[in-house]
Amino acid sequence: MTADAAMQLRRLLHIIPRLADGEAHPIEQVARMARTDVDTVLRDLYSLAQRFGDPGGFVPGLEITIEGARVTLRSGHFARPMRLTSAELCALELGLAMLARECAPEERGAIERARARLGAALAMLPPSERAGGGAGGRHAELGAEGDAALLAAIRGALRARRKVRLDYRSASAAEPATRTICPYGLVAARGAWYVVAHCEERDAIRIFRLDRIERAVPLAERFEIPPSFSLESVVRNGAVFSADEPGTLRVRYSANVARWIAEREGVPLDADGSLTVEHPLADLRWAVRHVLQYGPDAEVLEPESVRREVRSKLLELLEE
Amino acid sequence: MPARKPTTTERASAARAPSPSASSIAKLQRWIDLLAALLSRRFPAPLAELVRDVPAYRASPSDDALARMFERDKEELRAFGVPIETVQLDEETSGYLLRARDFYLPILTLPGVVKAASRARDRSGYRSLEHLTFEPDELEAVAHAGARVRALGDPLLTADADSALRKLAFDLPVDSARHESEERVLADGRGVDARAFALLGGALLRRKRVCFDYHAMSTDATTRREVEPYGLVFLGAHWYLVGRDVASGERRNFRVSRMRAIEENRARPRTPDFEPPAAFDLAEHARSRQAWELGDDDAREVIVEFRASTGAARAAAGLGEPVRGAPSRRRFRVRRPDTFARWLLSLAGDAVPVEPPEMVQRWRAIARATLAVYEPGDRAREGA
Repeated sequence: MTADAAMQLRRLLHIIPRLADGEAHPIEQVARMARTDVDTVLRDLYSLAQRFGDPGGFVPGLEITIEGARVTLRSGHFARPMRLTSAELCALELGLAMLARECAPEERGAIERARARLGAALAMLPPSERAGGGAGGRHAELGAEGDAALLAAIRGALRARRKVRLDYRSASAAEPATRTICPYGLVAARGAWYVVAHCEERDAIRIFRLDRIERAVPLAERFEIPPSFSLESVVRNGAVFSADEPGTLRVRYSANVARWIAEREGVPLDADGSLTVEHPLADLRWAVRHVLQYGPDAEVLEPESVRREVRSKLLELLEE
Repeated sequence: MPARKPTTTERASAARAPSPSASSIAKLQRWIDLLAALLSRRFPAPLAELVRDVPAYRASPSDDALARMFERDKEELRAFGVPIETVQLDEETSGYLLRARDFYLPILTLPGVVKAASRARDRSGYRSLEHLTFEPDELEAVAHAGARVRALGDPLLTADADSALRKLAFDLPVDSARHESEERVLADGRGVDARAFALLGGALLRRKRVCFDYHAMSTDATTRREVEPYGLVFLGAHWYLVGRDVASGERRNFRVSRMRAIEENRARPRTPDFEPPAAFDLAEHARSRQAWELGDDDAREVIVEFRASTGAARAAAGLGEPVRGAPSRRRFRVRRPDTFARWLLSLAGDAVPVEPPEMVQRWRAIARATLAVYEPGDRAREGA
């Protein structure tokens, strides 16, 4: 009950200052601004207006007129938003703390200043009412950022739509390769950051794991992100993946490890407790590393080429 | 400011939303009335005076009922973030004060647009408010921070971040949408009920114990747990509750998506059940750890020889410590030898253990067992 009323109060203290100019505002526009729906806006406003059982009841200094699909509002006391609450400050502080870990040293100043500025906009509550434990008892780690200066350089190039020359050492390459990319986006997935980009050498979308980039040099040449591109197109089942014509890697996981895989993939176990999963396959060496991490608890069923490669690699290791 | 009768009309033909409960509406109306009553005064006012501006208080059946209702409203508004002060007017009477400058958002500006913003606000009678100037790079950081928090998938955090950004956007051009289109955090929200965050967040704030059914993956068993919550941590793609498991006395991480039937201890709701240890540091606790570093076994040193400079090998070497006089070797502290041996195997020969002998034997045993899976005849036997 209290939570419902508090949510309504929060929405009203956002809506009223926006509307309190005596002008008629389309309700749909108000709903978009409040990131809610028209019904909710109407319900909130009617909640203030419905006082039929109390002839003496009214909100001092607050006038609401709803005509057709427009609302007009005048208010003396609620024409400005309230200060930030502790919970709101904590939420933004959590985001700023995440950025502070990712950014280059020269960017940290802006983050610290932003934190201080937000602190100055906080409602001054008695100490007993303030949330404790840093960012409201919350903390977030997205994954290996690698060199923060590299991330900053790529983020800057992404914003400026400038191409970048990379030295990139893939998981199985002994030497870095030079690539020229148009960065289209950044994705944090399963504990690592990835740059999603158009690679000029491959003339295709490719994904570069950030902690394997050894050098990133922004170039003067600019690019446009095609309107048809969306980061969603490289997201598959909570991971990023890109290949021109991916094959299929079929792996059977034993009952010893299958429940972890089933939880990650969001699929039910087979009747015997094991699990067979088809993964998109772009790189044979990735497939070998992937199954070896499970030892005898993962078996490649297809393709035969990956089975042969796994066996060959194991024979090589044991003969040494 | 004098009170005015509203001219509310209802000629709307738009669909009407389902009405909230009568008591919820009544509470909202009392809160708004009380806020208006406090904001219209510059000096502390006793309850007897505030009653005149809050119709629901006037309708209260007794002084005791009125006092209880007012106390509850005042505490709930404080919990909402409204800084209502209590001032002793005389030996028996308390007064209540809500200073405009403590309640209203300061007037926010960007450099160079101070005058335009302040003119608009002066007309509305908010002259006492301070001005707060954000530099463009600070505002950019705030918008980016908001987008990052939204991506984590906790509905409470998202609501708080959105609410904060909307307040700032009253005066400033805050745009977090661009960050959301260019950067994506893939949070695995499968199996997480939004109410779980509400329950755990509330218990965390009030320092109350929580009980829940928890499916432990290591044992594949579900048991009822009682936990003192210390914090919520987002690691990689998942949210975890960090807390002390009451039965074992140990500090544990519980993945939120594996919890069911979460309940907060309802006994003495206004009294905290525990205090987190003074030295507890959530960020330090959440520091990324590899699977072989976890657990209660003693840590053992393992020396690994790195034989290739592939991207995977270099990243793996970065997790260990240097060995004096052996630049191709790294030292690891391992609590789970089997997990470590499998991780080394995934490097496909780019790195091999060299010390101690037990680890070398364990690694070779796992490699042999894995090879056996691929021996001719094995598949036929399994019918694969």
